[in-house]
Amino acid sequence: MNGGGGFGRPGGRSGGGAGAKRDGAGAKDGGGKRYFFRRRKVCKFCADKIDYVDYKDVKLISQFVPERGKILPRRMFGTCAEHQRKLTEAIKRARQIALLPYAAD
Amino acid sequence: MSERIYEILFIADPNLGEPEVDALAAQVQGFVEQAGGKLQKLEKWGKKRLAYNVRRHNEGSYVLLAVEGGGGLIKEVERRLKVTDGIIRFLTVRVDEEVRKAERRKAQRALGEEKRKGRPSATPHATPHATEGVQQ
Repeated sequence: MNGGGGFGRPGGRSGGGAGAKRDGAGAKDGGGKRYFFRRRKVCKFCADKIDYVDYKDVKLISQFVPERGKILPRRMFGTCAEHQRKLTEAIKRARQIALLPYAAD
Repeated sequence: MSERIYEILFIADPNLGEPEVDALAAQVQGFVEQAGGKLQKLEKWGKKRLAYNVRRHNEGSYVLLAVEGGGGLIKEVERRLKVTDGIIRFLTVRVDEEVRKAERRKAQRALGEEKRKGRPSATPHATPHATEGVQQ
């Protein structure tokens, strides 16, 4: 069974990215209504105004694929829903033509 | 209705020399033209490492073609790609719709930016009043 709440993902992987925004400023000094300061992630594709996520652009896509070759959830990179969808499609295409691995060991 | 645009990306056997890859590309181009398509682009990427083994190769020469034509064209070309020796993998993707969408977006964004530049001091409050005045 899945122990504990949250996402049920045991330890490790990408914990750095997700955790980093949570701790940090706030709590001690503020009091009152001051919340944790979360650095907002901005969708890279929106920021760079990339409308068409090209499966041939391995350099771009591989930024969003970890060593292992998995497609990570949106919360890891802060991509917007629309671009995540396009990214996923691009990754799958790149895999078919051996530009990206399905799974690396 | 304009014709559709497809991208055909194929991987050639790494044991083939460059002239042989060229010949293969020309052959595929021939498939396209025989089936009534128009070639728009032909790009050779050269030898690249594959992310995983394909038919026991871990390398391959990539060749990209952009082709204009209908679905029947692709059916025929894919059938012939399958039986062509020296091609170890191929992928066909329809691109016209997505590219067109992307272009429309780009145009829209350019338009928006121009507007913003045009009247930098226009507050959201003032604008509707001004247009109202003109209309009445």
